Amino acid sequence: MARVHHKNGRGGGGGGGGGKGKGKGKWKMPASVARKQQAAMANVDQVTGDKIPKSFVFSRGKLPSTLRHLQQDLRKVMLPYTALNLKEKKRNNLKDFVNVSGPLGVTHFFILTNPKSSPHLRMAKTPQGPTYTFQIKEYALAADIANSQKRPRCPPEIFKNSPLTVLSGFGGLGEPFKSLVEYFRHMTPAIDPVTVKLSTCQRILLIHFDREKEMINFRHYSIKLQPVGVTRKIRKLMQNNQVPDLRDLNDVSDYVTKAGYGSESEVDDEAATVSLASDVDKLNRASRKSAIRLQEIGPRMKLHLVKVEAGLCSGDVLYPQPVGKEGLGKKGKEVEEETEGQEDEDLMESDDDPEDESEE
Amino acid sequence: MASATAPQPVSSPSAAAGAASNNPHKRKKPAARGKGKGKGKGRLAKTPRRSDDPGDLPRRRSKPSDRFLKLLRKRARDYNSDDSDDEERLSDEDEEEEGASGSGDDEAAGAVTRFEQGCRAFRVAFTKIMAKKLPDDPLGPILSAHKKLVAAKLAEDAEEHKPKGEGRREKRMAAEKGHVIPTNHLDSKEKELIKIATQGVVRLFNSVSKAQNCRKGLNPSRSKDAKVLAKETKQAFLTELSKTSNQSQKGKASSNFSKNNSKDEDEPGWAPLRETYMLGSKLKDWDKMQTSDVVNEQTEIPLDDSSDEEYAIDSPE
Repeated sequence: MARVHHKNGRGGGGGGGGGKGKGKGKWKMPASVARKQQAAMANVDQVTGDKIPKSFVFSRGKLPSTLRHLQQDLRKVMLPYTALNLKEKKRNNLKDFVNVSGPLGVTHFFILTNPKSSPHLRMAKTPQGPTYTFQIKEYALAADIANSQKRPRCPPEIFKNSPLTVLSGFGGLGEPFKSLVEYFRHMTPAIDPVTVKLSTCQRILLIHFDREKEMINFRHYSIKLQPVGVTRKIRKLMQNNQVPDLRDLNDVSDYVTKAGYGSESEVDDEAATVSLASDVDKLNRASRKSAIRLQEIGPRMKLHLVKVEAGLCSGDVLYPQPVGKEGLGKKGKEVEEETEGQEDEDLMESDDDPEDESEE
Repeated sequence: MASATAPQPVSSPSAAAGAASNNPHKRKKPAARGKGKGKGKGRLAKTPRRSDDPGDLPRRRSKPSDRFLKLLRKRARDYNSDDSDDEERLSDEDEEEEGASGSGDDEAAGAVTRFEQGCRAFRVAFTKIMAKKLPDDPLGPILSAHKKLVAAKLAEDAEEHKPKGEGRREKRMAAEKGHVIPTNHLDSKEKELIKIATQGVVRLFNSVSKAQNCRKGLNPSRSKDAKVLAKETKQAFLTELSKTSNQSQKGKASSNFSKNNSKDEDEPGWAPLRETYMLGSKLKDWDKMQTSDVVNEQTEIPLDDSSDEEYAIDSPE
């Protein structure tokens, strides 16, 4: 069995306490029931009541060290609802992971493989699929990106909340990509704009489809908010909580009025300013305007969709379209589906095929 | 050729008769010298005779016979004219020497000739070897019979050595395949991606502020505020309902708004306060719930950031 250190976010602790408190009254809840309930609570968002998607990132087969680092980076991307220190052994097979994923509420698998020394990434939904297989054409680790930056910024607090997902370039595309968009959308917890706290939006995952090259660009950025119209010195003063160095100044007012380096590049990003709904921190108040700055934290990947399977690493191949005998067999199945799904036509139209197939 | 050989038999008896034991020496010496001039081989021939030299010196000054001189000249001419002639002449001379050496010095003369013969063979062999055109071999001219073996062994060694280094490099290359270390400066493509992402974040923040501004100060987890919210949304819901009452049968996709609000109206904002929180089929077969949830979520949350982003950003493209 895979040894699992599962990091529960806020859901785990709070839910567990509630379950036990109930049990201390007249009737004591059996331990097994309590455990089950606790596990179930952990899988549900406390505010919106939605199911929280959780993920495992692991590898099949032997990986070179750079790919191992990529695996760890991907786990960090998927934080907090992932197993950061998931240990897999050689003898663990896919079934073991599936068996563990059920009780833990894990819904998404990211499987790194290296067949014939060309790295591949499989994204799958458990336990029934579908599975999307990508070839990783190019990748850069988070460490590489930090090395390329003058001032890398990656505070550990930003990994306490799940990233926002931004999909772009997927509009008006055909079947494999439609379901892929669905997959990506449910990879991270959905954001309810009514209840969300802006201070929890600190990372963003950009998945951009390049139509010319048919490549999917995977980028991971940190979000930084800066108040507009506040000089750098004031900003630093507010952030650092320290008495500034006033040795060379004649008057305190000089500290404020003296021009800085003039390297403020706030002029160009008029589009990147927002008025916040609530206070994010000391500097970024609700009433003020703030500029959004993104800085890449990596990893960076260039993916090419190779295959889509209906099941979990098995089942019918939905993409690329199978030819010959298989194609005929699949057509027959599709016809069956249509007849079955006659009564709720709307659902069939709006939803995607792979999901339905997995439901059967 | 015949003219060259003819006089010799004649001369030798005369020499033997005239100058009993000295003659062979005298005759030999100039011949050797002549050869030495030609190819520097005379020096070799001279060495065995050195022991005799002191005794020979006074005699050498005596004038050689005309006939002998003539012979010498002829030999010199022959030598210079052709190699093959020379060979035959030498062989003839050998015979003659054998015949002539009846006296005391026959031993020394035999040694000389034998050496000379070996010398000639060596010369022939040497010239032959030198004339041979060698293939351009990096190993150089190796005469040993093991030449092929040595070459094979060297090649084998080289081959064995190469795969070690090359294999390692190949392995490393394979492990690093696809790994691209980014450059220091942001190129235009990366900038564009950042721009897209920024746009997405801006859109999300704007939608959040739009959704949260109207109910600022109201906490949905507090029951008092929840009531106010419910009242607020109830009106909106009713107006929406009257609009879409004819369409309500058709499906959920027709109006996201009504769906969203109906939920708000019926249930408290905080999930644990809802009647259906963690109950029913939701938990029993959670996987099914999830797949059906996919449909719901799509319609339920109109401002799900990703969906919003996707279409909003695509439209200008």
